[in-house]
Amino acid sequence: MNLVGTLFVVALSGCAVAAVAAVLAPPRARLRLAGWCTAGAGAVGAAAGVAAVMADGMTSGVSAGAGQRWSAWLPELLPLAGVRLAIDPLGGVFIAVTGVVAVCAAIYGIGYCSHGLDGRAFQLVLPLFVAAMLVVPAAASVSTFLLAWELMAISSLLLVLAEHRRRAAVGRAGLWYAVMTHFGLVTILIGLVAFAAGAGGESFEQLRAAALSPAAKTVVFLATLAGFASKAGIVPLHVWLPRAHPEAPSHVSALMSAAMVNMGAYGIIRIGLDLLGGGPAWWWLLVLGLGAASALFGILQAVVASDLKRLLGYSTTENLGLVLVGVGAAGFFAASRLPVPAALALAAALLHVVNHAAFKTVLFLAAGSVLHATGTRDLDALGGLRTRLPYTTAAFAVGALCASALPPGNAFVSEWLLLQSLIHALPGSGVAGAVTMPLAVAVIALSAGLAVATFVKAFGVGFLARPRSAPAERARESPPAMLGAMALAVAGCAALALAPTLVVPALGRAVGVVFPGREVVSGELTLRLTGVAGMISPLLIAVTLVAAASIVLGLVRVSATRRARRAARLWDCGAGPISARMEYTATSFAEPLERVFDDVLAPESDVDVTPMKESAYLVERVRFHARVPDRIEHRLYDPLIAAVSAVGRGARALATGSVHRYLGYGFWALTAALIVLVVTW
Amino acid sequence: MSGVVGAVLQVIVIAVGSPLLVGVMRQVRARLEGRAGAGIAQPWRDLRKLMRKEAIAPHGTGWVFRAAPPLLAGTALVVAAVVPLVTTASPLDGVADLFAVTALLALGSVALALAALDTGTAFGGMGASREMTVLALVEPTILVSIFALSIRVGSTSLGSIVTATVEDPLSVISPVSVLAAVALAIVTIAETGRIPVDNPSTHLELTMIHEAMVLEYAGPDLALIEWASAMRLSVLLGLLASLFFPLGISGASTGALALLVSVIALVVKVTLMGALLAAGEVFMAKLRLFRVPELLAGSFLLALLAVAASFFLA
Amino acid sequence: MGVNMTDAMYVQLLDLACGAFLLTGVLVLWRRELSAIVWLFALQGVALTALIVVLGSWQADLELILVGAGVGALRAGLLPYLMRRALVAGGEGRETQPLVNVATSLVVAAVLAMLAYALSQPLVRLSPTPATQAVPVALTVLLIGFFVLVTRRRALSQLVGFLLMDNAITATAFLTTSGVPLVVELGISLDLLLAVLVLQVLTTRMRAAFGGTDLDELRELHD
Repeated sequence: MNLVGTLFVVALSGCAVAAVAAVLAPPRARLRLAGWCTAGAGAVGAAAGVAAVMADGMTSGVSAGAGQRWSAWLPELLPLAGVRLAIDPLGGVFIAVTGVVAVCAAIYGIGYCSHGLDGRAFQLVLPLFVAAMLVVPAAASVSTFLLAWELMAISSLLLVLAEHRRRAAVGRAGLWYAVMTHFGLVTILIGLVAFAAGAGGESFEQLRAAALSPAAKTVVFLATLAGFASKAGIVPLHVWLPRAHPEAPSHVSALMSAAMVNMGAYGIIRIGLDLLGGGPAWWWLLVLGLGAASALFGILQAVVASDLKRLLGYSTTENLGLVLVGVGAAGFFAASRLPVPAALALAAALLHVVNHAAFKTVLFLAAGSVLHATGTRDLDALGGLRTRLPYTTAAFAVGALCASALPPGNAFVSEWLLLQSLIHALPGSGVAGAVTMPLAVAVIALSAGLAVATFVKAFGVGFLARPRSAPAERARESPPAMLGAMALAVAGCAALALAPTLVVPALGRAVGVVFPGREVVSGELTLRLTGVAGMISPLLIAVTLVAAASIVLGLVRVSATRRARRAARLWDCGAGPISARMEYTATSFAEPLERVFDDVLAPESDVDVTPMKESAYLVERVRFHARVPDRIEHRLYDPLIAAVSAVGRGARALATGSVHRYLGYGFWALTAALIVLVVTW
Repeated sequence: MSGVVGAVLQVIVIAVGSPLLVGVMRQVRARLEGRAGAGIAQPWRDLRKLMRKEAIAPHGTGWVFRAAPPLLAGTALVVAAVVPLVTTASPLDGVADLFAVTALLALGSVALALAALDTGTAFGGMGASREMTVLALVEPTILVSIFALSIRVGSTSLGSIVTATVEDPLSVISPVSVLAAVALAIVTIAETGRIPVDNPSTHLELTMIHEAMVLEYAGPDLALIEWASAMRLSVLLGLLASLFFPLGISGASTGALALLVSVIALVVKVTLMGALLAAGEVFMAKLRLFRVPELLAGSFLLALLAVAASFFLA
Repeated sequence: MGVNMTDAMYVQLLDLACGAFLLTGVLVLWRRELSAIVWLFALQGVALTALIVVLGSWQADLELILVGAGVGALRAGLLPYLMRRALVAGGEGRETQPLVNVATSLVVAAVLAMLAYALSQPLVRLSPTPATQAVPVALTVLLIGFFVLVTRRRALSQLVGFLLMDNAITATAFLTTSGVPLVVELGISLDLLLAVLVLQVLTTRMRAAFGGTDLDELRELHD
């Protein structure tokens, strides 16, 4: 067993130890023991992933597609099929991301879970969830993959439901999540089973070598795409995401949003690009279109959301949408025989996966810290946390900067790469490319712009200014474990933002699994694209920015004659001190954008006027409700649910309560089946 | 070497000259409206006066409020160093391309918007909200225009785009360039808060965007913000001039005289454009806020048509 | 005449004329003032004339140039003149509430432009000359004209939409073939003139009867 294999097995064993510790350890030590074991397992898992990407293994000497590979077949672990594992650089990237997120989430959990989440069950499931997510990218056969996938789904469902006794909304969110994730599982199951049947074997190597008819390939692709899209929170299968993320405990939200949804993107890359070996251009235009729709829809919902975690959940839909734009573009370029932009687009997509994981971990952990301190997620009731939660505020500031794709944040780098790949594809990609690429660029641009507005709102309204409610006023900073986890994630963001030149070449190896060829980028300080013109240096941008700001400060120091700052009242139009109720809220901040995108968002508002008993002309109370419902949910799912429940009500006539009737159904069904057998055979 | 000198020169020209540009624009406006005007050095006199006053820390504001002015000015300076105004061979050309320049300018706006939210006043929130709305809607136009400009060159590097135009000046008279130029001009007006998107001289709460954000600043902080806004305006006008009329820009290896000529060309071009803009503003009224999206959608359409024209007509 | 035009210059002039043709079409969608729309239509007539004249002088075809001049006289002169008279008589200055708001219709126009490009590729591939390569421009204006016709309420702006379509069809005809027979062009022009005159009479009558030209209100006649 080589380095990658050893580390991977150690990581899985670490998860198992954590699970055992959660069950056996006494309540007082349980949190720490399980938490640190999970964190350790995550760290080792991350190391395994990094080793799979970076370490030079047997194929050393080849620049792209190198990295240490590891595979194992454990026939006795599972009856009939056995467990088949293999780690290549592509899987390694996702394993590494999952590992690092797990470290942050597990350490954070030690502080976060001390109030009510320290029960055996919850602490047991968390390491299992991490283990499942580590196994999914390592699975190398259909049965192993499906098993790990389902374990991931069920364990995450249990974690989402952790607080169902406290809030009724948790149960509803769990129901949505359960239905959507199992819908996804069913379609993936159908797709992969059909694939395996066509290939005559279920290991990924057999699938890769299979020669299916184009129609069969299309069926497999579309079925798996639906399942993976539902996991990745892609429109129109995203509905579970903005419900489940807010209701789950915050570090679970971080794990789900930064690590689990990535598996959707992984699945599409693995099945579509790797196992099916590409495919016709329209597949990938479909993926690109879905991605673009999700990016826009997600960020539009995020910009008008006033629930902090719901906002972050919709932002996940947006970012995974951008990842799918990259994946779709890569597949489309590959189908149009443009290897250089294809590799670039896939590298951009993978980099965005990594970057998104980093900043979304920070943001969810910080949001959890706010929730911990104030007990509310409503931005309209927050504010003024800058002085009360200084570290959380700083962490959220870094996360928000990264998420809004501005330099010196990390998402800026991945969106830059994505834009470069789209721009450089134009001459050769034909009519479809010429029509799609400008629109894709416009979608990315609009979603980047709206992301800026979203995170200015989230940070500016949620953390700055003065508190808008009593709980926000009483907020206290979180315990050190939570702060430490946030600091770790912030460090990850900073590293990715300033030194993408270390990460992107490694991602190039992962790209090499799918598109064997040359490396994508080069350069140490400056990110230089190979094959096409384009370079940028995030580190130097940050350095010059700091230098310029310091020069400006120096100039001010030199030229200003009076140094001291004088405290003063805010301008209140001469009407007395400004109260917290006069502040702009998140809802009012988003109002102009809500109006501009009125046709898309279809906001609802109504005014309730309660007149006094004495006279209809005297008003006792006026109530104003405004909300922006998820339009897709409204238009697509509500009719669907209504139809299903109508069918259910109709079927009630079949079940009258008579035992004889039920037995009769069984008897007639059996007889009918036997008759069919006799007739057809 | 001349690249470094050129970059330093253009930063100095922008830093010193941009308040004068604002002065020229105000003077043009004043004359057209039949007033005498305060003279073109008035913005510098204002800045000097502001620097002598003491800085103010309004109640309830914190580090975000303090950090915004230097950050805004810092981004403007970095952009001034990157953009090819005097020379196409800025040493920072490989560091940041057109996308990065756009993002840096947006970073400055974001800093100011956060500072405005930090004050906790309704004005601050209003200004920040409107500024972010405009910024979000402007983004697609900018990026698609960049796309249109980069197709011919095969790169988004500012140096390469401008160099290609210098080598083939007639290529500017094509639908691609014209459409992209109009789109970028509209965007420039929106980004710098000029009429018809925002009125830089208004103090009427309901209509203002930029002024609402900086309402709480005073003294040196306000001086920095005014200076930075002037720099952003001149850099963006200079960028427009360089992209579509790069006459007189020096290349990689030129002598001191050529650099001097480039500086003069820059000053003349930017002054002319500023005067033109000011003259245009006299005849225009500010748009209602909810008409601004129409303007920006129009500019987006023009940018997209610019991309389309580059393969429609090529 | 015009024989000494160079290749590059021909392409550049042609492209500029097409660009102006497209831009005026887009601006019709953008502006609300009916007088501005009529102006833009006149400008588009000028661009169309320029287009035909450039094509004519490139092919050194005097007849084509004359046809161009005739087209110009009709579309940049007579039709706008008639429309402006109708406008002055009416007194309704603005397209107040189009069925699709202006910002959205501009975005729709962007998508229509892409559609037009994709549609015209087979045509362009048949004979890739600079003239046929500009066909997507004409097709875009055609679609935009149709869109104006569908979404605007005022009779006059609908008329402009219809005329935009006709301008686009004329442009396509000249760009794809080396010219339209004079008789055909004459016939089309007379048809157009007739349509405008009929509509002018109709708007006057409508205004006299109902006090407005909002075509949606005509539905009430039905009841």
